[in-house]
Amino acid sequence: MERPRGRAGLGLALGLGLVLLFFGIRFFAPEATGDLLSNSVQDFFTLSISVIIESLPFVFLGILLSIGVQVWLPDGFLLRHLPKNAVVRRVTLSLLGVLLPVCECGNVPLTRGLILRGLTVGESMTFLLAAPILNPVTIITTYQAFGWDDGILVSRILGGFVIANLIGWIYSRHPSPMSLLTPKFQASCAHAHDEVPATRTRRSVDMFAKETGAMLPALFVGSAIAGLIQVTVSRDVLLTLGQNPILSVFALMALAFVVAICSNVDAFFILAFGSTFMPGAIVAFLVFGPMIDVKMLALMRTTFTAKTLVQVTVVVGLASAALGLAVNTLA
Amino acid sequence: MRRRLIARWQGIVLALVGIVATLWLALTGQLGLYINPATSWFAILMACIGALFAVAAFAVPPLEDEHESEADVSSPALRGKKLDRAREHDHDHDHAPSTPPGRVRTALTAMTVVGATLALLVLPPATLTSAVAAQRSINSDTSALDGGGTALVGADTSSFTVKDWAVLLRQNPDIDAYTGTAVDASGFVLPSAEDSENVFYITRFVVTHCAIDAQPVGVPVYLPGWQEEYEADQWVEASGALGANPAQSGTDPLVLVPEQLAGIDEPSDPYVY
Repeated sequence: MERPRGRAGLGLALGLGLVLLFFGIRFFAPEATGDLLSNSVQDFFTLSISVIIESLPFVFLGILLSIGVQVWLPDGFLLRHLPKNAVVRRVTLSLLGVLLPVCECGNVPLTRGLILRGLTVGESMTFLLAAPILNPVTIITTYQAFGWDDGILVSRILGGFVIANLIGWIYSRHPSPMSLLTPKFQASCAHAHDEVPATRTRRSVDMFAKETGAMLPALFVGSAIAGLIQVTVSRDVLLTLGQNPILSVFALMALAFVVAICSNVDAFFILAFGSTFMPGAIVAFLVFGPMIDVKMLALMRTTFTAKTLVQVTVVVGLASAALGLAVNTLA
Repeated sequence: MRRRLIARWQGIVLALVGIVATLWLALTGQLGLYINPATSWFAILMACIGALFAVAAFAVPPLEDEHESEADVSSPALRGKKLDRAREHDHDHDHAPSTPPGRVRTALTAMTVVGATLALLVLPPATLTSAVAAQRSINSDTSALDGGGTALVGADTSSFTVKDWAVLLRQNPDIDAYTGTAVDASGFVLPSAEDSENVFYITRFVVTHCAIDAQPVGVPVYLPGWQEEYEADQWVEASGALGANPAQSGTDPLVLVPEQLAGIDEPSDPYVY
């Protein structure tokens, strides 16, 4: 008993030492860079850091919920309480975001936890794509931004619901759904039901370490890509397409992909362009963005193969565009 | 083994980098440079919870290692099962870090950690610059930026922020009614895209949630030859009165004609929310 306790103490000291080291680096870091960095490079860092600082708490929350589902919920609890009928089950899962209002970054670790707990890939995708839109925070902020104007709120809710269930249905018919997952995550699934002789607290800490190992490199790289695109792609190019009923839809979908903004506040962001763009383009932005953007693809790549993500992106993109064009036609 | 260790500690180290950066920004009152202060409590709370888990992870040896070492000494059947799983594992990451792909992966991991440390802990926190403001079209639709297009025409202007002035000016107020109205504003200098010789904007970014959604808003200042004394990105404070734009060009019929204009240090709260 002495040696494990000694190792734990040493580990704790090491962890605290690293925290102190990082605070020390921050404390002694220069207070200004002068002219070392050009404006564009400085903005790249500021924007990338902003994405990380904004997303990190949601990723942690998602990991904590994932730990809750995997470690603290009784085995089989989730599957027992979901409807047996596959369609009704996916419909229920697409509404789960009402109970677990995590934004899209946090949904990825939670989705991983749901798959490890026995949900199929199609069912988990339904949750992953629907939850950022079908949750109370997103619905309230969209209402605050647009009210009932032009059917934007209703189109967003219904569009998100239908597209998420469409993706779930498509992948429920896949002959080998596990092949949609990365080999590494497949291996994690294979281990998921192994008996591990450890306390729940210890398993929780271990799972936190594993999930941060999977999610954070993707988050940091995704944030850097998002920051890079922000400083290199001019929004003016996209905004000039605003009044064309067809091109405006694709322009705002491209903008959604580029800005990678949180679904909880994207309605306020796009409200600033409300008079520039047609309602269908705004709907396409509000439906496509929470499901697919540059940061989300980096995070989802921890779990799904590149081929799967290309397919999902194409289907979600086509469906969002169709929805946007339909709204523009009716507007 | 080395590969697994790297995968485990990369996440923990990156988590601690993000956590320390968040807490340090909060302690020094600079978190608002990156996210709206309304959500600071959530970022701080989750950083503290994350810190507890991350530090605790140092005290807990990886469960998989123990588990696998148990499997190694168990039955041949179990060993076979483990081997199959390990082969699935191998598709994504090899077990020989000395091979070129292993070295590349290790190098990428190191670059991510070093890059994150440099960006979040070494570089000083900074606001967005005029380069982003120029790219995002100043005052593109300020009537929407106040969350519903509140009419500011006729309102008391004595406590107006840069954002309020920008919203008001975009509502096309009667020029005669506002000529002579006193304005006091501070922000960074952004040259007018249409009349950079005579006009610049005293600019602030409006941040709804984080710097990604920052929208530049500004008050146009009419001062021919302003470039001789001031430069883009410089923070200035101006007081004066509104008047018809003498240049008669561009999209700003009303401009601030400054009576006093001076350079200032960047304030601790450079954004408006």
